[in-house]
Amino acid sequence: MKLPIRGGSKLTKPAVYAGLVVILAVLPLFMTASYYLHIFIMAFIFIVATVSLRTIFISGQISLAHAAFMAIGGYTSAILAKEFGWTPWVCMPLGALMAMGIGILIGYIFARLRALLFAMLTLLFGIVILEVSSVAGRWTMGYSGLTGIPALFIGSRVPYYYFFLGLTVLSLLALYRFEFCRLGINLKAIAQSNLAASSVGINETANRVLAMAVGCFFAGLAGAGYAHYTLVLSHASFSLLQSIYLTMYMIVGGVGSFAGPIIGAAILIIIPELFRGLKEFSPFIFAGILLIMVYILPQGLVSLPRLIRSAFTERKKGKRIAHAP
Amino acid sequence: MELALGISMNSLVLAAMYILVALGFALLFSIAGILNFAHGAIYMVGGYICYQFAVEYGLNVWVAVLLSMIVIGAFGLFLERFCFRPFSGDMFRTIVIAIAIIVILETGINVLVGSVGIRAIPILASGRLVMGPISITWERVVTVVTTGALLAVMIWFINRTKQGLQMQAISQDPEGATLQGVRIHQISALTCGLGCALAAVAGCFMGSMFNLSPFMGDLMLVKATEIVIIGGIGSIGGVLAGGLVLGVIDAALPQFLSGAATQAVGLGVIIVFLLFRPQGFFGRLV
Repeated sequence: MKLPIRGGSKLTKPAVYAGLVVILAVLPLFMTASYYLHIFIMAFIFIVATVSLRTIFISGQISLAHAAFMAIGGYTSAILAKEFGWTPWVCMPLGALMAMGIGILIGYIFARLRALLFAMLTLLFGIVILEVSSVAGRWTMGYSGLTGIPALFIGSRVPYYYFFLGLTVLSLLALYRFEFCRLGINLKAIAQSNLAASSVGINETANRVLAMAVGCFFAGLAGAGYAHYTLVLSHASFSLLQSIYLTMYMIVGGVGSFAGPIIGAAILIIIPELFRGLKEFSPFIFAGILLIMVYILPQGLVSLPRLIRSAFTERKKGKRIAHAP
Repeated sequence: MELALGISMNSLVLAAMYILVALGFALLFSIAGILNFAHGAIYMVGGYICYQFAVEYGLNVWVAVLLSMIVIGAFGLFLERFCFRPFSGDMFRTIVIAIAIIVILETGINVLVGSVGIRAIPILASGRLVMGPISITWERVVTVVTTGALLAVMIWFINRTKQGLQMQAISQDPEGATLQGVRIHQISALTCGLGCALAAVAGCFMGSMFNLSPFMGDLMLVKATEIVIIGGIGSIGGVLAGGLVLGVIDAALPQFLSGAATQAVGLGVIIVFLLFRPQGFFGRLV
């Protein structure tokens, strides 16, 4: 897997992103239906989670327990807020730190396992975390679900919308900085060849643990935000399926670029919601997008513009040849 | 005595089911390099097809099982040809397409038959086997014996026939096997078909002993993954050993712990085991 070392350096790109953020910021003025706000808020939460999953991915490891780290952050924050009556504003960072701590532990223990075994073990770890959450009934309420989590804002969804928009923008900026600073480049070097990277003095274990720490911190933050937004946490909120969905968002968007997971999460969350009227048929939409992506866009949705552009240039070339005497 | 016998019989039955599903999953992975996450969903569909033949069309249960094997085996061939072969060597796309197949199959079954109401395949054999103080239901005996026979046939096939030896050759060295004239795509299609047919049998038996549910494949997929991890990749003996270990854990621990704690303890044991022996019982390192 070849990963680009440098992002675009042109000034147009930041301008486009800033414009996008401004559009998203004025959106609630026109879109007042709280159901649409809900979809956007969910998209924001899962964008943060998916991009943080990619932070682990660029170190060459696939974590299939990312929803479990969301669960750790969410449950920690919710229990602290509910049992001790602390304000959610303090509990959310604490939840994220808890997820980070467990992420460091897991990253350290599993550090010597590569690729496939790491993926399988994290998968099992994710299931263990879920089972533990259902065994520890006194705190997490087990299968019946944890309810009565203190809310961040009372009443309308608009403040939530702006809060999560801000959280997403800040998290994405932080993760972007991380990916393109020296540390992130180290991670990509390890992913391409761990032997070559170690031979120039990059500590493989430390860097992989660092990637886990950063990725899990933001996953925990997203999970904590989710907990204080939906106000209900259950066994099913962060199931194994959710971890796999996060991986799907990342792959469908395109793993090769920073924008990939953002586009993937946004599209795979918003488009199936548009077909909500189909009720039990709606998962077919999700599967359909996956199939289109696999057969037509193997590099992910981010490669779509490039594909169109190359198709146009091909056609022009073809014409030139056709007109040649 | 009664309890010990019950536990060991349950362990054997569970182990038999796990091994049937995991064998196809492991074979496909070691021979074709395909991580078929849809194997659990295929197992579930196998059960539903058997239900359709046995209950809706009123066929004999064993005939229904056989028909289900044939249908699912053909589906396996289709799967290998159109979903896995175009992307061979590309792990990501294989996984994505397997997830898409899971979603399609589970949603399809859910829409077609619905998840409300209990659906079960008629029992394969009734009555109890009584030998002195021991008394076991015939159903479990039949299940274990049938599975044992199927596994014996599979092991004979892999070790004694031309196709089986070709499978082993591919799993050792695909390029070398191709140079010797082994038709790698045909063999992986055969493996996929056989593996899916075995999973269908497990689906029929589980649907007969317990109930069918559109989502029963998810748990089985996790179990198959665990067995492949415990047993090691590329070893049939490993699959048998892993299936037995998991069967004992899943049948014996619920006698002493709650269901969820069993899962956690079982998985914890596997994680610790893996940290010290990442290649599994018999397998090789990936």
